Amino acid sequence: MSVVVDEPAVMDGGGTSRRRRGRALTAVALVLVFAVFPLVMSPFANLQVTLILVYAVAILGLDILVGWTGQVSLGQSAFFGIGAYGVAAGAVHGWPVWAGLLLGTAVAGVVGCLVAIPAARLRGYALGMITLTLPVVAVPLAKRMEVVTGGAQGLNVTIVQAPGWTGLAADQWRYYVVGIGAAIVFALAAALRRGRFGRAFDAIRVNEALATAQGVHVTRYKVLAFTLSSVYGGVAGVLYVVAVQFISPETLVLTLSISMLAGLAIGGLRSLLGCVLGAAFYVVVPNLTGSVSAGQSYLLYGVCLLVVMLLMPRGVAPALGHAVRRVANRRERAAASGE
Amino acid sequence: MNLLQQVLDGLSSGSVYATLALALVLVHRSTGIVNFAQGQMAVISTYVAWTLYDAGVPVWGAIGAAIVLSLVVGALVERFLIRRFEGGEPLAAIVVTVGLLISVNGLVSLIWGTVLKQFPSAFPPGGVGSGSGGTIGYGTLGTIGALLVVVLALNWLFRHTRLGLAFRAVAANPESSALLGLPVGRLLMLGWGLAAAVGALAGCLVAPKLYLAPEMMDSVLTYALAAAVLGGLNSALGTVLAAWFIGVVENLAGTYVSFVGGDMKIAVPLVLMVLILLLKPEGVFGHKEVRRV
Amino acid sequence: MSTLELRGVHAGYGKAQVLHDVSLHVGDGSITTLLGANGAGKTTTLRAISGLVRSTGEILIDGRPIPSAPDAVARLGVAHVPQGRGTIGQLSVDDNLKAGALLRRDRVQARADLRRLRELFPVLGERAQSQAAGLSGGEQQMLAIARALMGRPSILLLDEPSLGLAPLITKELFVLLPRLRDEWGLTVLVVEQNADLALSVGDHAVVLESGRVVLTGTAREISGHDEVRRAYLGN
Repeated sequence: MSVVVDEPAVMDGGGTSRRRRGRALTAVALVLVFAVFPLVMSPFANLQVTLILVYAVAILGLDILVGWTGQVSLGQSAFFGIGAYGVAAGAVHGWPVWAGLLLGTAVAGVVGCLVAIPAARLRGYALGMITLTLPVVAVPLAKRMEVVTGGAQGLNVTIVQAPGWTGLAADQWRYYVVGIGAAIVFALAAALRRGRFGRAFDAIRVNEALATAQGVHVTRYKVLAFTLSSVYGGVAGVLYVVAVQFISPETLVLTLSISMLAGLAIGGLRSLLGCVLGAAFYVVVPNLTGSVSAGQSYLLYGVCLLVVMLLMPRGVAPALGHAVRRVANRRERAAASGE
Repeated sequence: MNLLQQVLDGLSSGSVYATLALALVLVHRSTGIVNFAQGQMAVISTYVAWTLYDAGVPVWGAIGAAIVLSLVVGALVERFLIRRFEGGEPLAAIVVTVGLLISVNGLVSLIWGTVLKQFPSAFPPGGVGSGSGGTIGYGTLGTIGALLVVVLALNWLFRHTRLGLAFRAVAANPESSALLGLPVGRLLMLGWGLAAAVGALAGCLVAPKLYLAPEMMDSVLTYALAAAVLGGLNSALGTVLAAWFIGVVENLAGTYVSFVGGDMKIAVPLVLMVLILLLKPEGVFGHKEVRRV
Repeated sequence: MSTLELRGVHAGYGKAQVLHDVSLHVGDGSITTLLGANGAGKTTTLRAISGLVRSTGEILIDGRPIPSAPDAVARLGVAHVPQGRGTIGQLSVDDNLKAGALLRRDRVQARADLRRLRELFPVLGERAQSQAAGLSGGEQQMLAIARALMGRPSILLLDEPSLGLAPLITKELFVLLPRLRDEWGLTVLVVEQNADLALSVGDHAVVLESGRVVLTGTAREISGHDEVRRAYLGN
């Protein structure tokens, strides 16, 4: 959750409760828009939004590691892939979706935990390089383990079909499934952040030595964060297969990890909204810039990335938060002077 | 191909990785940032050299001109793009270099297209006999030699010149250096300029073998990062040795271990790097950071 | 030697202003002590002169306003030895000293200065190749001052040189100041908590309180001043 430092209301009581009402109304409006969206928009638009939610979950996982505890990871795409292959391979072998989901996320979590335990001693670039190895090794591995992964061609599946009584098309149904799944994991993350886990993670991020002195079991929390991060990556992978019904080794590449990290920076660290905004940037901007040639689209994407970072170095979510607060303050001051 | 040839080929690739890794170390020592775009900057420098060569400039002239141009452009990149991210949130700086990577990649594709291009070798064809009837190419030896020249030149610059001392002072403590009257900003630009120049050399050395393409330096960058991190992001000697190690292992693994195919080659040195880092997190030649509460 | 003058200087860190309308004058060749309680703004004054903190108002050397960038101010002949010495730990003692002279063109004279300073502070010669971070506090202070002198400054700003040093070494250092001033042609502005020692050695003093100048005068006047004695000299 973005840490919002509430400036003291210009008027007592009236200001803050008005702001809370405003936020509640905005939330309700957003949920309504979200619920109605797929019923009125094209399958392509639905897929775009579904993908945004998918990547938002993966980026949230990354935020748990990078934003909450200050560790670094270039391996999120590997966990994404593990989750995706779990559900896809399961489906190919006739397993129900929830079994594949469990398998995928469990394997992702276990691998994450195994990596995290020795890696907890590492800092900065050493940790980055170790996590970088994950997707670099995973891609050729996936190509070779044909029995499980279908080799270089990947796996095509048909899962999560819309039940007849809903009258929804496949893409609409999957939109809702992914949306609800994402909402659940986001709510879980928000809850974690608020409690003692959040406080412990903050302490570790700010100063590990000090955190240890304060009695925080640093290694345990770092491993927990890493495991959570990889589980979220796995969940995102499962949701990905639900959305596009396909997985191949090319999805796990290092480039995806890097793009997720970029999305995290663009959205803003330690902000749930930021994760969604970062995912939106990743999904939408290449479409906008992908007009003429690959080279041109790549250049425009890179320039957009640079422009966003230059204008909003802390990310879009904090910048939006500032802007909204300024407008709210101005309105309160006007209301106060008006009375 | 006998073992000696394999090892020397590995040292040659390793020398290219080392050259780019030294660029990474230069940037990290001066501005505390890891430049993920270092490889891509090398690529565009190499394309510029190719364009000059294509227009009739002799190879060494083209490479030299590209190196000088890179020095200038690298300095400008630090001044106008990177400067405001120094000393801030590390993730932001990393993502800016990623943005630079993507932009330069796109720019290269746009200007020169994606078709592979032949790049001339800076060294004469042929080579030295290596016993059992094989040859060790002049290119292989020349690349190793070029790295050694770079290492010696940088060492001389930093240890025996006033400019080098100024740079080391700024890299270690910018505020103190400012109080001594040193032009901190300009010295940081020098760090990036030198790095870009060194990177350009790396690109021109590897291009004849890998063929010039926008993604040419992608795996070189990965290896260079690994070598730099193994060297503690600090020590030139550690970085070079790590890079040579990586080059030789990669080459031998690709040839002698059957499970390892072309795309798996990169995994072997990386996995070894992981093992080393797990044992010694600060890198083989790095120093443990003393963190005070 | 140069004169240093502040006129109506306000300085601070963002919203927290520390100095309010500070005016003081340090004459040619004077050793002036800046006194005051913690938080009075003594360090901020030196940082404002050096350009490490933003300030408004006028800061003049020999009657001319100075630039705001730290390296430009240093090039004008202002050497600032900050709190905590500011020596560059990763460099050797020798490299630190040479760094101090990097901007000088007269290499021969610079080498002669290095020899002189090694005679003055023998430890700098003995530990020439050692990493500066390995030196004791007192040795680092000597290194910091020597490094500052290597630049042949006309104004020396010293921030709490006694901090963390044993009393004996502190005394030696302060007794050295007038000699350094004479032999190297300096004007000195020193911030010091140890008022007794500083006033015994200095020529003038300025007392700061909550970012304002409350007293100026000769060292003798100030040390005889009742309130000062009570507040800072423990009488």
